[in-house]
Parts: sequence; C-alpha cells; structure tokens
Amino acid sequence: MAAGTLYTYQENWRAFKAQIAAQYSGARLKLASSPPAFTFGQTNRTPAFLSNFPLGKVPAYQGDDGFCLFESNAIAHYLSNDALRGATPQAAAQVLQWVSFADSEIIPSASTWVFPTLGIIQFNKQGTEQAKEGVKRALAVLNHHLTTRTFLVGERVSLADITVACSMLWLYKQVLEPSFRQPYPNVTRWFVTCVNQPQFKAVLGEVKLCEKMAQYDAKKFAEMQPKKETPAKKEKGGKEAAKPQEKKEKKKEEKKSAPQEEEMDDCEAVLAAEPKAKDPFADLPKSTFVMDEFKRKYSNEDTLKVALPFFWEHFDREGFSIWYCEYKYPQELTYTFMSCNLISGMYQRLDKLRKNAFASVLLFGSDNQSSISGIWVFRGQNLAFPLCPDWQIDYESYDWRKLDPNSEECKTMVKEYFAWEGDFKHVGKAFNQGKVFK
Amino acid sequence: MALRELSSLEKFLGSNKPNKYRTQGDKKVPVLQNNKGRPVVGLVTIACHLAKEAKRPELVGDSAESRAVVQQWLEHRITKVDGCKKEDIKTILKDLDHYLQDKVYLAGNQFTLADIFMYYGIHPLIVDLVIQEKEQCVNVTRWFNHIQHYPGVRHHLPHIAILRNSIYSSRQH
Repeated sequence: MAAGTLYTYQENWRAFKAQIAAQYSGARLKLASSPPAFTFGQTNRTPAFLSNFPLGKVPAYQGDDGFCLFESNAIAHYLSNDALRGATPQAAAQVLQWVSFADSEIIPSASTWVFPTLGIIQFNKQGTEQAKEGVKRALAVLNHHLTTRTFLVGERVSLADITVACSMLWLYKQVLEPSFRQPYPNVTRWFVTCVNQPQFKAVLGEVKLCEKMAQYDAKKFAEMQPKKETPAKKEKGGKEAAKPQEKKEKKKEEKKSAPQEEEMDDCEAVLAAEPKAKDPFADLPKSTFVMDEFKRKYSNEDTLKVALPFFWEHFDREGFSIWYCEYKYPQELTYTFMSCNLISGMYQRLDKLRKNAFASVLLFGSDNQSSISGIWVFRGQNLAFPLCPDWQIDYESYDWRKLDPNSEECKTMVKEYFAWEGDFKHVGKAFNQGKVFK
Repeated sequence: MALRELSSLEKFLGSNKPNKYRTQGDKKVPVLQNNKGRPVVGLVTIACHLAKEAKRPELVGDSAESRAVVQQWLEHRITKVDGCKKEDIKTILKDLDHYLQDKVYLAGNQFTLADIFMYYGIHPLIVDLVIQEKEQCVNVTRWFNHIQHYPGVRHHLPHIAILRNSIYSSRQH
C-alpha cells in the first residue's frame, strides 16, 4: 500500500483527487499544505523541490520510499486501488476516458467561467459566454450518460467519479445555480451522491451547492492583484496628468493578456496572484540604454555592421556593466550537448533577469575537451545574481571578471562573443556553438 | 419469502451463525426467537434489530432525518408493495420513479436497509416488465441495477438484465 506525502496549497481541487482516492484505497497520505512543511511559492521553488518535481507545481507526491510523481491524475491513479482504477481492461479504459474528459472538456471552460468570479483572473464577457456553452455541452453529455447509470463506470465509485466530480466542484459551488442545472438532473444527482460519500466528505467537508450564480467581482479582482509598479520614466507630466495614463496602460495590459488567461490553470493563477517581488533594480537611476532596442537590432540585423555599432553608441557606462565569465570546471564537461544544456538551463533559471541583461555564452572545443565562457551585460555596476535568491543557482560555478568598457580587450571580446566569430585568443580552442540570453 | 430475505440480510451483514425464525398468523409474519429476551416480531423490526446487532447503524440511517426516511420506505414496502394488486403496480413504479429522479439511494446519500428491502420487494414487479416498460421508469431501473450489483445484496434473487441504451427512446420524454 502506498504511503507518502502530498505537497499542495490548501483547498486545491487537484490535490482532492489524490486525497479522496487515498480515502478509498487506504493509502497512508500525509498532507504538506502549510508552513513549515510546505510554503506555497517558496518550498516549490527550492532546488531540492525542483530536482524532484521539475515543474515546481503542486500537487506533487513523494513516497516514503522516495518515489516521486507530479501531475494530479497520475498521483490519484497511483494512490488508488484496483476497484477505483477499473478492474477490467475495459473499465480501466473507461476510467481513463472520463479522466481525460474532465481535463479537456470541463476544466478549460470551468476555469474561464469560475475564476473571474473568484477574483483570480480578469473578466472577459465573450470568454465567459463561450465557457458557459462549453460547460453546457459537457453537462449534456454527462446527463445523458447518467440517465441509466448511478456512477460513471460500473456500479461503484471509481477514479472517474472522483476526477470528474472534483473538476466540477467549483462549478457547483460558484455558478451552477438551480435554474442553470435544472436541465441536467442526472448530473446533479450523481454529483450530490459523490460528494456526500464518507470518503469524499472526509476530504471536501460539506459541499454547498450554489444558490445564485456568482458574478465577476471587480473589487475582489483588484484586491487579489499585486499592485503594479508603473515605471516612472514614462510619465513626464504632473501627477494629475499621469493618473489617467496609468489607468489606460493597465487596461491595455489586461487586454493583451486576456487570451493567455484562458489557458492559465489555477496553480498558475495562484502563483500570479502572489505579491510580485520588488524589482531588484528599482534603486538604480534610470538609464538611457534601452536593452530591448539593442536586442531587436541584434536579433534582426547584421551583428558586426549594425548591432555592435548601435551597442557602443548607446551603451550607458554608468547604468550598465560588462562582465566576462568562464566556467570553473571545464574538466567536468563531457558531451557538448550536455554542456549546451548547462548554459540554456542557467538562462532558464534567470528568466526574470531577462529584462535587464544580455549575454552571449559560447562553448569551445569538442566532446571531453571543451570550455565555456561568455560576455554578460547587465544593469548596475555589480554582479546582478546576488540580488535575487532565484538567480543564485548557477553563477557560483563561473569566474567573473568585470571589463572596462573603454579598454581594447573589452571591445574585442564584446565583438567576438556577440558575433560568435574571431580569434578568441584567450581560449585556445575552436568555437563550437553559442547561446544568447536575450 | 420474508424468511429468505432475512437470511440474505444475515449473509450481507456477515453473521456467522444463522438465527432461528418461525412465522405466525395467516400472513406468515416472521418471528425471531431470542434466547435472551422476548421474541422480535415483524420483518422491519427484525431487520433493524439485525443491523444494530451487526454494529451497522448507518444501514438504519445516519441522521434523524434519514432514519425517518428509512422507516418510511420500509413501511411502504410492507403496506403498499407487498401483495399489491396488478392495477397498482403502475402507480407504485411511477411514484418511485419520480422519487428517484434526483436520488441514488432511497434515504440520504447512503445505501440503507430501505434500498435492500425495497429491492427485495420490487424484484417480482421488475421481473415481469418488458424492456419497453423498464424504459418508462428509467430511474427505478437505474436504482434497481445499482442495488442488485451492490456487493452481497442479491443472494436469493435472480439477476435481472437492465439495458443501458434506450431502444424505445421516442417514447421517453
């Protein structure tokens, strides 16, 4: 019998699936959902957590035997018994069918409809209307299926019921008011029966069906959202002039992000609702060097003829610094593709630095005799990595040397590393491949 | 009939040694001979007694309300379903069908004695239905199928096939 720990934030319906399955199967499941065992947004970003669960998402399961699983359906499956999973190949396939049905037919529409009512995402009228239709289609299918059936697969509760009921939990709690659910009596009968089974109740508590459809609550949304720090540089007018502009900007941002929000699952939504960390570069005076502008030139135009001259013309020696880095342990580098992953992995972990940095890091040599070095440009006069705990994973594996932007050495290195061509005299190995952080 | 139901219930409850019963009167009311005290008389009374003896109080209802509803259906079974006339069958099934529209079990959200004994009582009525008639009371047949598949319930009764797909769908509304 499985025994282990389930990491999750509290009231996570995805975790409920695993918890209920464990109630049925008798799997011993410890819950790590609150500090000190688990702090959402912190624990799941630690290197130890990420090495077991690379997505950094919850729920995540770690068995007492060290067995690790992410993705809620897999965890629920693992914690089930044969009766829940479906005892025959047919029943097991039907269970899988309904689990997939929940993920693809219910969750997307349900999220789009329900999340705005909880203040998690911005309301979008068209999106909500489409989502309602999507929910109706799913309800109609379920209602028809349940006309002659008590549970979704066979005559007993299975993982299919657990999964589909959990995916409809928020719908029934928030928006499926009596008149809306009236055409689907079989679904409601089934749902009420499921959530009132002792094993469900032990996890969900009392589930109260929605009396009146919850509507989008703009105030709640505003409270849930982190305060956006509007960059001061864009407002040159007085304070009064700045205000309406600020509003407009916000609206624009929200509109832009609307289509993505439909895709956003609630784990991400909760992540997004966390207060944003303060910009680590907020204290620095504003700079004339626009990083994005340079990156556009570098990406779209000839490096030697356009991008480099642009760089030196606009580079702000006060606001930015240029660094040379070299990987400390070249003797440990084996296959070149692995070394390349080392570089791109570092870039990925530094994602939030992207706005304020540019780098070109190159791999020299060949399998088992290679080295890594590169040029970094970032905001400020000090190494940027210590500013944020998220950025400190890789930089200590490199030697760092600040370059004097006026020196010939710096000019040469910037040219060679940005263009991926040249003598690379100090390296002594042939250029193999490069990766750009932009 | 009643004695066979009680022996099935005993098996369902997992009791090791069968109790001794006799019947009294023209209607053959079952009586449980009790060594310790007075005999327990009547199907419903004996059934509740057995459930409590077996420490399965949830079968009698886990709240005051559901206990009352369980009693109501047990009483309905004895007074209305047992020995009902042919012309009453339709009404009984129709009423039950309506009641089960939004329910999986007769009382609350749990399987209780009400389900067991209504299943036993209604079995002879369902046996005689043709497919088309079964389709007309889809909620009853759904419930019936669920209870007959409930582990350990269908001891002395033959399994009745219930179709999942409607054949006469045009007759449904």
